[in-house]
Amino acid sequence: MSSHDNAPVDPNTVELWDYEDHGHDFIGTRTLGFWLYMMSDAMIFAALFAAHGVYVRNFAGSFTSQEVVHPMNAIWPTVFILSSVMTYGLGMVALKKGNKSGVVNALILSFLLGVGFLLMEWREFSELAAMGAIPQMSGFLSDFWTIVIAHAAHVLFGLIWMAVMIVQVAVNGFDQNNVYRLLNLKIFWHFQAVIWVSIFTFVYLFGAI
Amino acid sequence: MKRKKIPMFLRFFALIPLLLLGGCNTEHFWLFNPKGPVAAANLYYMVVDVVIMSIVIVPTVIFTIWVISRYRASKKAHHDPKFSHSNGLEVLVWGIPIIIVGVLAFFSYEGTHAVNPWNPTVITKNPKYADTKPLEVDVVTTDWQWMFIYPKQHIAVANELVIPVHTPVHFRLTSTSVTNNFYIPQLVGQVYVMPGMRSKQSLVATHTGEYHGFSAALSGGGFSWMDFKTKAVSEADFNAWVEKVKQQGRRLAYPKFAAFAKPTVNLAGKVHYFSDVQPGLFAEVIKNVRDGKLQYATPMFLTENMDSKEFKQHSN
Amino acid sequence: MLVDLQGPWNPIFGRLGLLLEVHYNNPIIFFAFMMVVIGGTAALSWVTFTGRWGWLWREWLTTVDHKKLGIMYILVGLVMMLRGFVDALMMRTQQAMAVGPDSPGVLGAAHGYLPPYHFDQVFTAHGMIMILLAATPILVGFMNLIMPIQIGARDMAYPYLNALGLWLTVAAASLVMIALFVGDFSHAGWVGLTPLTELPYSPGVGVDYYLWSIQIGSIGTTIGAVNLIATIIKMRAPGMTWGRLPIFTWTTLASNIIALTSFPVLGVALALLTLDRYIGTHFFTADLGGNLMMYTNLFWIWGHPEVYFVVIPAFGFLSEIIPTFSEKPLFGYVTMVLASMAIAGVSWTVWLHHFFTMGASPGVNSYFSIATMLVGIPTGVKVFNWAFTMWRGKLRFPTPMLWAIGSLFLLITGGMTGMMLAVPAINYLVHNSVFVIAHFHNMFLLIVYAAFGATVYWWPKVFGFKLDEYWGKVFFWLFTAGTLFVFVPMYTLGFMGMTRRLDYIPHTSWEPLLLLEVIGTGFYLLSILAFVIQLGVSIYNREKNRVVASDAWGTSRSVEWMTHTPPPFYNFAVTPVIHARDEWAWRREHGLTNLMPEKFLDIHMPKNTAVPLIISFFTLVCGFALVWRIWWLAAATFAAIIIAMIIRSFDKDTDYIIPAAEVERMEKEIVARAEGRIPAGEPAPVGGGAGGAYASKRTPTQRRDND
Repeated sequence: MSSHDNAPVDPNTVELWDYEDHGHDFIGTRTLGFWLYMMSDAMIFAALFAAHGVYVRNFAGSFTSQEVVHPMNAIWPTVFILSSVMTYGLGMVALKKGNKSGVVNALILSFLLGVGFLLMEWREFSELAAMGAIPQMSGFLSDFWTIVIAHAAHVLFGLIWMAVMIVQVAVNGFDQNNVYRLLNLKIFWHFQAVIWVSIFTFVYLFGAI
Repeated sequence: MKRKKIPMFLRFFALIPLLLLGGCNTEHFWLFNPKGPVAAANLYYMVVDVVIMSIVIVPTVIFTIWVISRYRASKKAHHDPKFSHSNGLEVLVWGIPIIIVGVLAFFSYEGTHAVNPWNPTVITKNPKYADTKPLEVDVVTTDWQWMFIYPKQHIAVANELVIPVHTPVHFRLTSTSVTNNFYIPQLVGQVYVMPGMRSKQSLVATHTGEYHGFSAALSGGGFSWMDFKTKAVSEADFNAWVEKVKQQGRRLAYPKFAAFAKPTVNLAGKVHYFSDVQPGLFAEVIKNVRDGKLQYATPMFLTENMDSKEFKQHSN
Repeated sequence: MLVDLQGPWNPIFGRLGLLLEVHYNNPIIFFAFMMVVIGGTAALSWVTFTGRWGWLWREWLTTVDHKKLGIMYILVGLVMMLRGFVDALMMRTQQAMAVGPDSPGVLGAAHGYLPPYHFDQVFTAHGMIMILLAATPILVGFMNLIMPIQIGARDMAYPYLNALGLWLTVAAASLVMIALFVGDFSHAGWVGLTPLTELPYSPGVGVDYYLWSIQIGSIGTTIGAVNLIATIIKMRAPGMTWGRLPIFTWTTLASNIIALTSFPVLGVALALLTLDRYIGTHFFTADLGGNLMMYTNLFWIWGHPEVYFVVIPAFGFLSEIIPTFSEKPLFGYVTMVLASMAIAGVSWTVWLHHFFTMGASPGVNSYFSIATMLVGIPTGVKVFNWAFTMWRGKLRFPTPMLWAIGSLFLLITGGMTGMMLAVPAINYLVHNSVFVIAHFHNMFLLIVYAAFGATVYWWPKVFGFKLDEYWGKVFFWLFTAGTLFVFVPMYTLGFMGMTRRLDYIPHTSWEPLLLLEVIGTGFYLLSILAFVIQLGVSIYNREKNRVVASDAWGTSRSVEWMTHTPPPFYNFAVTPVIHARDEWAWRREHGLTNLMPEKFLDIHMPKNTAVPLIISFFTLVCGFALVWRIWWLAAATFAAIIIAMIIRSFDKDTDYIIPAAEVERMEKEIVARAEGRIPAGEPAPVGGGAGGAYASKRTPTQRRDND
């Protein structure tokens, strides 16, 4: 296996420079980069879930997970966040059809459902704080607050992004930039939903056992 | 045992590059002068490892140097500008490292069990020590001192370790503040001493003498002065020493220990003796650390000026 | 406040009141401060008096050109390396002075001149700077500089993100430099040992500086990794298949896969420690359910891959330099690629070998020991491959080759000691000893050697003239003398039982070797001088050493030698078509070395932007505010960052088109200059020349109609 092609080369006909403008796969490049970013974000949660495995029983004489974690509390937020993903998906269907108002309406609905999710989390954690189950009490509580709030921070940033996109689409329509941004936000919004499902399973359901 | 097969003079193989320096007294090479079976086993595996690797590394170095001198452009040696692949050589370049790593992996596995701090088979499987009653010592590190508690003898010594020769010594170790690392180079390798946790270590000294022990993990401002003498003495001397400590020492209960654990830089290398040690002190220390009841904050500028009044209050 | 802080705090100035308690009478810090003030003033006056502010702003501060960003990355790395070296000088002299109980002490130290308070900061800063702010930027700089040209691309996939990555790294470096004068730095080692870094044991702002500067720098590196990987996947020239990718590009890919996946774990480890310090959680405390070894695990899950993140590109340098000066293709290309990928893969499974002495069970230790040894297989393969590359070659030894050979031997010794450390039975003796220090400096020096080799090797491509060979050789041999005098005694001290991070040396038998190490640092100091002279002499004689051919060495092999020297800002007037693994060597063999295409096309280029600079400035202020717990300022700057990003998203004027006719004009001017038809003294060419700056006086001549 030589590093060089053995086929004879005719210096007069060989194509040395690429004279055809292939164009730049703009949207594909941007989406690929976002997938790569998602991979590093996934590593953040991988590390946090590994930490959860370590701290899950470190109650240090304070509240146990059965006293703190109630899967029933997390069911409504789950419904909200998954519906938000679904409405975002409907927006993507509208994008395919080039339906501007359809996208904007779907994004607004999706945004409101996300806000609802955050409000419900806010209520849950205010209750925990009121009963004294604050992160300073034990390794387990530190971990529980951190992992759930890390996800909530993702939701918050997703919502800011969504709000910007509502304005962007309304103002600029479907230009190349907005299309790739909508596609990336779709990846991000699905990603945070996947994370939430994992949190619901490993933190809430397993924690209640 | 198997390790006897390799002549001991080979241990100095690892020294060869160092001998080039000349004038170095081998007596100061603690790692090459083990005084107990654990450190000796460590050294044995080092020698085995270096010898096996030399089988491939020495020829590689010679080959590389030969290539560099043989194929310089001025030598007009055979030039093969197309040569970039050879199945035979590929098998060689992958095969040799795989075989070497395979052999080393075996010795690594064996060695890890031989000197495992929790159950070093060089001691526990050694018939020589089967009948000897082991000595138990509980080690507690503070900021920045050592406390050695002899629970069976009900005595404790700060910053000095005295052990009888030819007797297995079992340590349980914990810390009151941050992680330290228990290390006596000529007797036993390192093991972490962690707050709120208990680690273990075992050693046997085969020669009487005085050995250096110290913390090998950074633990803050007083870390450099955190060392202790290890005296390996005969059985009779050890018993006499225990009696002496029992006479001299003051009582050590938990409140007194908590006072001792205040941040203190042991500049002067002071040794303290305690007798009538409260039973279960070691466990109580771990429990209090875990509950956050035994914890001293380090003053912010403590070691900035070692002539300051504040530093003098925290050193001896 | 959520946690008990030592010292004052108020809502407006945070903990800045602490500064009143800091002692500014220390002559060392004062001297360093004066050096920075004088150096900074000199640089600023030079820029002002030569009227270069506009030039600086247009050409460098707001650029998105991957070559200029690469140069700036390397520059930042070199400056921080100098800072790290000064730290090393202080460590070596302190240890040589503070031997034995009778040694005197000055400046508040019981022995020597650095009390633990300062000494601990010095070695912490040295380690953290050398790895994260010297080695990483220099290597990322080379990836930026060379890799896009090597794959025949015009720029990176995301030029704007590229600039952001650089300026975030600069922000991190600035934060560390601020720590030198405003407050203190971490005292707890570059690994940030918990619980020593917890608030009770590190009550100052030092650890906070450490945490935020690494956090900022690692965000920059992650952004860079996304960019580099996407560039390799998406921006290759036609015909540049995976099997023809230059080996340096392969190593860039391997190491950035590592960076992309490992830096987030570091981010989590540091973030959890930050929570412990700022709101009093119990992740890594000894009490209330904390687990301090969890930090060590998370840190080294990043830390070990990071080691390979920096070493794999160095292997890439060697794989480019050695074939060039052997006049032969690289032996075993496929093997080389597999070996790089294997190292990247295995790097994830070995982290526990950094703390074998934790007391894990022998089963666990054996597993990690054997996994670690597996790294030796692909590494050994690489050594053999380089040796067989030289075999039957036609070897020449200009300075890049000297550095490469030096690097090869350092790899052999470092690899051997690494294999020793991989065995727990040996590791128990030498863990935390200076043997380990000697081992990993050996490995890092391999990178430094390779990087210096790469600097000399690619210098003519970037700047259009070669570096002086005589002073280059003086630099090499002085540096090598330094390496031998510092690290042979250091290995020896390891066998004598000396452990690391000692401010005071209790055993006088170590003194002679410590003095030898000081002599070694003297050689390093002289070598730096030789390097500066080399640069000075080369720049002074640049017309004599001018390179006009596209291939500066005459025997180079990959695509970056297929464009003009120095490359124009658009790299290739027309994208090349790739036919072979070593495309340039292939074209040379077939006599196809004409660089002029038959016709020209419009070129689409990104526009300069100041947004990355602005975002990074806010990040720096935000980091400073968080260190000193000035909450309002942190919140304000954080909001400013978000707003800047949103405003940027509405900016549609981000790129432009260069018409074909103008490209042709620039290309002809470059060729005319190369053929000497334009005198060398004339102002810089329109199209290129980093030595005279890429004069991209490009105003957008045509709006891009992309939407």
